[in-house]
Amino acid sequence: MTGVKEVLGAVVAAPLGWLARLLDTPLRLWQRLAGQNGMVAFFLLPNMAIFTVFVLLPLVINIAYSMTTGAALFLPERTYVGAAQFERLLRCTDYTDLMTCQEDQFWIALRNTGTFVVLQVTLLIVAATITALILNRALRALSFWRAVFFFPVLLSPVVVGLIWRWILDRNGVLNAALVGMGMDPVNWLLERNYAFSAAIGVTIWAHLGFFALILLAGLQAIPRDLYEAAEMDGTKPARVFWRITLPLLMPNMLVVIVLALIRAVQVFDEAYVLTGGGPGTATLFLTQYIYEVGFASLLKNPGLAAAASILMGGVLIVLTLLQLALGRKNERKGKLK
Amino acid sequence: MGRIQLHDIRKSFGAVDVLKGIDLTVDEGELVVFVGPSGCGKSTLLRMIAGLDQPTAGRIEIDGTDVTPRSAADRGLAMVFQSYALYPHMTVRANMAFGLQNTRMPKAEIDTRIAEAARMLEIEPLLERRPGQLSGGQRQRVAIGRAIVRRPTAFLLDEPLSNLDAELRVSMRAELSALHDRLGATMIHVTHDQVEAMTMADRIVVLRAGKVEQVDTPLNLFNRPANLFVAGFIGAPGMNLWAGQAKGGSVQLDNGAMLPLPVGLAVPDGAVTLGIRPQHLRPQAGGPLQAKVRLIEALGPESVVHADMGAGNGLLAVLPGQPDLARGAVIELGYDPQSVHVFGADGQRLG
Repeated sequence: MTGVKEVLGAVVAAPLGWLARLLDTPLRLWQRLAGQNGMVAFFLLPNMAIFTVFVLLPLVINIAYSMTTGAALFLPERTYVGAAQFERLLRCTDYTDLMTCQEDQFWIALRNTGTFVVLQVTLLIVAATITALILNRALRALSFWRAVFFFPVLLSPVVVGLIWRWILDRNGVLNAALVGMGMDPVNWLLERNYAFSAAIGVTIWAHLGFFALILLAGLQAIPRDLYEAAEMDGTKPARVFWRITLPLLMPNMLVVIVLALIRAVQVFDEAYVLTGGGPGTATLFLTQYIYEVGFASLLKNPGLAAAASILMGGVLIVLTLLQLALGRKNERKGKLK
Repeated sequence: MGRIQLHDIRKSFGAVDVLKGIDLTVDEGELVVFVGPSGCGKSTLLRMIAGLDQPTAGRIEIDGTDVTPRSAADRGLAMVFQSYALYPHMTVRANMAFGLQNTRMPKAEIDTRIAEAARMLEIEPLLERRPGQLSGGQRQRVAIGRAIVRRPTAFLLDEPLSNLDAELRVSMRAELSALHDRLGATMIHVTHDQVEAMTMADRIVVLRAGKVEQVDTPLNLFNRPANLFVAGFIGAPGMNLWAGQAKGGSVQLDNGAMLPLPVGLAVPDGAVTLGIRPQHLRPQAGGPLQAKVRLIEALGPESVVHADMGAGNGLLAVLPGQPDLARGAVIELGYDPQSVHVFGADGQRLG
């Protein structure tokens, strides 16, 4: 086997080596001209160019859009309105009653997203932790079970939405099964609470494997000796979990929580395909609101959508900074050991 | 309190027999060291006494009570792990208190015990620190402290010194022995280091491939090894072992050398293995052993001479002082015939 590998390696390496030798002389020449710092810039340039065109520029344009109004596509043709779009988004006559808000849809989407984030993340973390704890035991066919839980992560979100719509639809698989067992069918996606629960359940199903995997890695990093020491001390399983497993899992747990929060705030594709935001506005989330205001509704208002996306971006930036801070803290801790 | 008896302990992992029937009694207050090469089953045996693993067959008794079916927590033993197994997120104090809190012991009693153990181990200034802020030696003390506060029937120590550097290992060795004297508790100490075993043990259990080769005091093991394995394993540098043919009170080696046997030892004619400790060889003009010097390790007070006697027989001699020998020189050595060990064809000691 190694023989084959070596031959293959040599075959692959030959043209690369040839290319490297070909580039060697011009690059040396170029380095003499540009200097070492020049070379750094030279190698960074393509990356920076792509980043600028596809990330930085759209960001700037989006900020510019948020300060304009009208349906025109190109910035110079748009009317500057300052912070008017933000005002419109945030203005309510009575903040205890969302219906009095000028953009009541935005507020409904905000409330739905808030509720979704709290419930989905809580349930997701609990489910992922339990899954990881089970997978961490010396289970028969462990790799198989790990794969089973991870497979949904590999599916495209739209496919996830379609699969579950096929199951939960009024004429879907689940209702067929219920009727087959002599029960009444349920309008899973047409009843407010069921539809909202379905959105939570389906997104948990889709992301569980990813988070369970991170937690599982954390669990496996906990030395076995610690559990044996606890066993010698006669520690009850619950106390082992709360006093040993959970504290030692905390670094991974925090990362998982923040990542889950970020993803939950961004919820869109699975839920949109599954419920389309309905029934009514029961599962209307922020991203869908932005999408519809900006692109899908009859009265397109890209400026308003841009403003809403910036508000949402603000939330995501806070969460991301939190994650980075946690990451750095873990790194420092790692070094201390 | 603290008498541990093992009756025919066996352990198999699938088709592999790791322990092949171990019988052993560890007396109250004794410090017994399990020693043997890697994979001999010494750690497995300790874990079985601890209750962390279940034997496939056999019975473990502590103070006359069969504890085989009992969980680790119900055996009243404390273990010090090779990795120390300190909880990294807890302070030293919390580490020591953790096991006691499980038993719902009053806080005042816990504090007293921790204070007492900390004083004994001189770790009082470390109590509020975390394991990550301690040196290897300090962690080791905390791990021992965590065992002491539980006031166990016996201490089980699984290679506790192997993660320390050489100097610290020597001082911790002495400290552990002193601690054993002070506590008077039964201790079982596992190590692969025969020097550690020799210096610490009341009795040593030499294990090989899941079987007990010999159980005895360190000096008896050194002076009267029961078989070839123990002869080769105990003592540093290792014993010279040469195969030969016994004939009328002497042994002829493959290289032709005739070596006299101890007076009064009846050795039947035939194949035997002769053992002589390197320390028992001494320069002797016209002596029965002649060898060509290959390497000299001058240690100062003594020198270890590696030499070849021909026909594939090597020779190790520990000579006092700093003898004036050059590589390639031929030395002549003799010995007191009473210091010779003779092993039969089955590897067992004769006489």
